Amino acid sequence: MAKGGAVQETAVEPGGAERGLQARRRLVPYYLLGPAGAWLLVFLLLPMLLLAYTSLQSGGILSGGFQFTWEFSNYVDGVQQYQKFFIRSVEYSLIVTLVALLLAYPMTYWIAFYGGRWKSSLLLLILIPFFVSFVIRTIQWKFILGDNGFILGPLKNLGILPDSYHVLATPFAVVAGITYNFIPFTALPLYVALERIDKRLVEAAKDLYSSRWQAFRHVVWPLSLPGVFAAFLLTFVPATGDYVNAAVLGGPGTTMIGNIIQDKFLTQNDYPEAAALSVILMLGMLVLASLYARILGTEDSTVAAAAGGAA
Amino acid sequence: MSAVATRPREVAAEDLAPVNPPRKRWTRFLLPTYTWLMILYLTSPVFVMILYGFNAIPGDRQTPKFWGFTLQWYRDLFGVAGLTSALKNSLIVAPVSAIVATMLGTLLGLALGRYWFRGRAPVNFLIFLAIAVPEIVLGSSLLSMFVLSSTQVPLIGDVLPLGLRTILVSHIGFSIPFVAVTVRARVQGLDRSLEDAAQDLFANPVTAFYKVTLPLIAPAILAGFLLAFVLSLDDFVITNFVSGQTQTFPIWVFGATRIGLPPQVNVMGTLLFGAGLLAAVANVVVQRRRA
Amino acid sequence: MNERTDHSLRDEAVMEAIMRARLTRRGLLKGAGRGAAALGLGAFLAACAKETSEAASDPKQIFGGQPGDKINFANWPLYIDYTKDKEGNRYIPSLRDFTKETGIEVNFQEAIQSNPEFFGKLQPQLQAGQDTGWDIIVITNGRYFTALVENEWVYPLDPTKHPNFDQYAAKWAKDPTYDPNNEHSMAWQSGFTGFGVNKELVKGPVTKLDDLANPDKVGKGLVGMLKEDMPDFVMINLGIDPTTSGPVEWKEAAGWMLKQRDAGVIRQYYDQGYIDDLTAGNLSAAMAWSGDVLYYQTWAGYSNLDWIFPDDGALHWVDNMLVPVEAANPAGAIELMDYYYRPEVATAVTEWVLYLSPVPSTKQLILKDAKKAEDQNYKGYANKLLATGENPYMYPDDTLLGRTSYGRELKTDDEREEWDAIFLPISQG
Repeated sequence: MAKGGAVQETAVEPGGAERGLQARRRLVPYYLLGPAGAWLLVFLLLPMLLLAYTSLQSGGILSGGFQFTWEFSNYVDGVQQYQKFFIRSVEYSLIVTLVALLLAYPMTYWIAFYGGRWKSSLLLLILIPFFVSFVIRTIQWKFILGDNGFILGPLKNLGILPDSYHVLATPFAVVAGITYNFIPFTALPLYVALERIDKRLVEAAKDLYSSRWQAFRHVVWPLSLPGVFAAFLLTFVPATGDYVNAAVLGGPGTTMIGNIIQDKFLTQNDYPEAAALSVILMLGMLVLASLYARILGTEDSTVAAAAGGAA
Repeated sequence: MSAVATRPREVAAEDLAPVNPPRKRWTRFLLPTYTWLMILYLTSPVFVMILYGFNAIPGDRQTPKFWGFTLQWYRDLFGVAGLTSALKNSLIVAPVSAIVATMLGTLLGLALGRYWFRGRAPVNFLIFLAIAVPEIVLGSSLLSMFVLSSTQVPLIGDVLPLGLRTILVSHIGFSIPFVAVTVRARVQGLDRSLEDAAQDLFANPVTAFYKVTLPLIAPAILAGFLLAFVLSLDDFVITNFVSGQTQTFPIWVFGATRIGLPPQVNVMGTLLFGAGLLAAVANVVVQRRRA
Repeated sequence: MNERTDHSLRDEAVMEAIMRARLTRRGLLKGAGRGAAALGLGAFLAACAKETSEAASDPKQIFGGQPGDKINFANWPLYIDYTKDKEGNRYIPSLRDFTKETGIEVNFQEAIQSNPEFFGKLQPQLQAGQDTGWDIIVITNGRYFTALVENEWVYPLDPTKHPNFDQYAAKWAKDPTYDPNNEHSMAWQSGFTGFGVNKELVKGPVTKLDDLANPDKVGKGLVGMLKEDMPDFVMINLGIDPTTSGPVEWKEAAGWMLKQRDAGVIRQYYDQGYIDDLTAGNLSAAMAWSGDVLYYQTWAGYSNLDWIFPDDGALHWVDNMLVPVEAANPAGAIELMDYYYRPEVATAVTEWVLYLSPVPSTKQLILKDAKKAEDQNYKGYANKLLATGENPYMYPDDTLLGRTSYGRELKTDDEREEWDAIFLPISQG
């Protein structure tokens, strides 16, 4: 992620005015990130520091509060005791992200390439279901997926499914629920990346490659990689920490690390351990995401594709 | 184009249809059908919600059973105490949060996507953390921070009492990273030479930005705005912690699930959905005008 | 947005103590410098909170003086009497009458969705000695109630200021084990946890705990359990008194629950949302709160649902009104709390909420209302009122009450930890 921008700033004639311009240019990124950076510093970094601080505390809610004691055992305990929940969450989340990518890619591809002037409207159509509160949506899904609801009821009456069959309270329901909730997070970055691909590149590719599939594989797919990476990031990472779907749609054996953290925090009031688990979660995600970035090699392939395609 | 001339009519036909029939099947039927099916899938709970907004239930609380049609909940839309003000709060916070987050996030995404600067890695890291942190933990950390800071610096207690302001400020905070990542993805592939060319033609980097870069990244900005809007409108966990006594729509609805949702919730959801639909239609009209 | 009520309404001495505490905090911070202050923050705030609460722990002083103009009352959703006026606008009659009588305005908010979440919201402010913005909160007896009391985050009530309570409150509401002498709380409404049953889906009568683990009675994957109530509920039905139980008994209960889980009957462990699944027909039987099922059975037409009092006992829980520390209007708060112990007022609430009222004389008043409705030819409504008034679980006699118990209070962190270590893994599988 630390690779430089796509094109290095080429040296121009170092005339006085030019040098001034270059100097000012160097400051541009700082101006750009200034306001956002300041906001994030106060309302994101500070709470996170507080979080890290809390994670090294010990004590209890009934024992006079919590004190800072460099309690690294919170981390050790966290990993030892809750390993299986971390793993389960990653598993679920990987499935969710894969499915979401598979579902969203063709859809955004079609909208980006063939949407024409309906592009942004179609995009909006994808998103407006999410204007409605997720609580309402989840409840309606419970109605729809109910044991004798719209889908299962008729199927059971027809004898296709056994009477005791149920979708809710299974891992399937949890994964399906999370996927549903995160599709906008997947679709939007994909759309954004796909939309900027120059259509002429695709045309040229079609002329060069014998099949559309090859054209896709060699041109469109690599160019869409930054979008895929962003989509992966925005989906996989928050999905791993999700707890609502597991709580509402899940059953025994579907508990995710998010539920554990919530219990630790709200039920047990064990703030230090909850904080420690959260930090472990975040760092774990960071490791996985960096690995993924390396495998995908996003920046590099972007440059190569752009350079190659534009030639 | 075929080099071998067969019968003149056949050559002409090939000229007219530059796409092979198999391709046509994909782009004309399969993909669009798939997309519409997906849209249907995404909206299916909404349809159920709309339907149950007409449910003639005997009591006040909703159930899966459908009893019959009635318009009474539309008439009595504001009849549930607290729900109306909760909705109002959400409708105030969401657009403001989305606008501010989009402005700040776009600039940030630009900076990250195209420039190299010191501190770039930490900023990326911070954004990543913001997306990775479990909401419950961010929510409670923000609450602790607001509370602690207001006990130490009384001014903060007046400027940022727990309520709409803290909600707004928190929403902007967690939306910025999402916007930034979306814009960054777009910016990363942009051809820099376009902007350089613009700078050769125009004197001013700012103008180059407005006339060249901005239109190029506009879809990402729009996408980021929509994402931020949805994030804010929908947020429950963080909002719940920092809201003090104020309630937003998701908070109210979540609370009501303990006993049962009044149908007014469905009606409001229907109206929200309808508003979004109207926006989509308006968008089409505007695009038509431009074309 | 909430405006903090003017502190000048309170007693001078209390004010002084608070100012002293604040000044100390500021002074120390200036001297200590940022880094050190950050490290010592936790201990600081704990100490400062203690100081404030020590100074302000005399109930007479807290609840004395003139009540202020406004009371901020946080409660659960749909837990008070609602009605519509002639224009069709909703309002709360009992609160409107209170305001008419006393001139005190009440800001009633359904701000509490669950005990742990609400507690989690208030905790930082209480810990820091800040006004939470509420004068009355309603918390169920249990670990959060205990935490509030043990940490002195709620005021001890002035016993001379609740005459209605003294006169009309039920025996079970007075001097409960979780709050001896009602030092800090007065009951709002109460209920039992028992069996909620879908008569169409169970394959036989469900009356004993073991039925909930028996696939022949409840089928497979169709039972719902309540996470927070489970341990106490199971203990009661195993013949153990939860209030005096220890780790040995807890392990026994956990053993039963594991057996239940292994039998494959569990569909889900709920925080609270079981009623949706019960009404939707996704559950054959569940641990359920009496008022929930009663409402759907009697008032919402779900005749296939029933609430059953287990043969071996039910869990009795109480939602209690408490006054958090630093509340702006404690005098007004206690007046409002006591107001709800007037039989007419309590009747209005219970007729709507359908949970156990802490005022037994409401029973007669409800039956009277039923008669009135019948005379006015509102047959349907009258029948429902009648069913409510005669429901033995809404107005339990002593024998029935004798078969119920409160849950175990966990008074120290060690107890909490041990309890959680035994019980949490069962639902967290």
